[in-house]
Amino acid sequence: MIGAIVKELIGLFVDDELLAAAILCVVALVSVLTLSGVAPDWLAGLLLTLALPAALAASVLRSARRAAPRK
Amino acid sequence: MPNLTTIISVAGASFAASFVEAVEALTVVLAVGLARGWRPALSGAAAALVALALIVAILGPLMSVVPIRALQFVVGVLLLMFGLRWLRKAILRAIGIVALHDEDAAFARETRELSEAGRGVAHGFDWVGGATAFKIVLMEGIEVVFIVIAVGAGRGLLGVASAGALAACVVVAAVGAAIHRPLARVPENALKFAVGVMLSAFGLFWTGESLGVAWPGSDAAILAFIALFLAVAFGLVALLKPRAAALA
Repeated sequence: MIGAIVKELIGLFVDDELLAAAILCVVALVSVLTLSGVAPDWLAGLLLTLALPAALAASVLRSARRAAPRK
Repeated sequence: MPNLTTIISVAGASFAASFVEAVEALTVVLAVGLARGWRPALSGAAAALVALALIVAILGPLMSVVPIRALQFVVGVLLLMFGLRWLRKAILRAIGIVALHDEDAAFARETRELSEAGRGVAHGFDWVGGATAFKIVLMEGIEVVFIVIAVGAGRGLLGVASAGALAACVVVAAVGAAIHRPLARVPENALKFAVGVMLSAFGLFWTGESLGVAWPGSDAAILAFIALFLAVAFGLVALLKPRAAALA
């Protein structure tokens, strides 16, 4: 049962692996840019605000393309 | 000091998300109760609540030790993953690509599987029924605890978030105890859609703030993010639903 619970816990955060990876990549990139001083704070905020909804849209569009309708 | 917008957003997000989780847990606990008996159903649920209380008791004090920026960052990223996952699924359900969650169907399936399962009785206790109730209440409870921490910790509003979650659980438990049926009429996908939008907005806000972003309007930026994710989600539904319908 513990294995099933751990699996379900991971499933809370990861459903579409590419979406999860995209979120982590965006956050990692913005963190690196901000912490290294390359990007000012406003640019970091703008990147997050644009990239995260874009990642969601890409994931949904990809699923819609792949899935047979009303499966 | 958090403003009223933040307090209402935190309480609302916590209530709505916990409501959905509690409805899902109630469905399975009811199925256990009707198929295997109320003793394993209630014992399993009670044991899970004790386990949850232990988790909270252990994790709770750690929250005050972690620096607020680090806490906001971790919580923000987890919220983004959790919220965008919920929102993605809700959009796919709204489009018609993924089937809507049906509490009546889930209840019928659980009841049938539990009725067909071996008795699994040892020492006079039905362990199959008890374990099923334990697992669902623990899993959904962990989600509720995470949601409370995620939406409440970033602004020191754990009490507000806890009150929202507790209210949702009490309402669902009271209605479930009164009608002894799953709450199939709850518009679950609409709730998940709304919660996904709110959690994603909180995740974006906390993540940015932890990285030093001074959001315009401070906490009011959360409302702008809610509007942004709503616009993206509705736009995707409007774009893809006719196509999915045409292909069906």
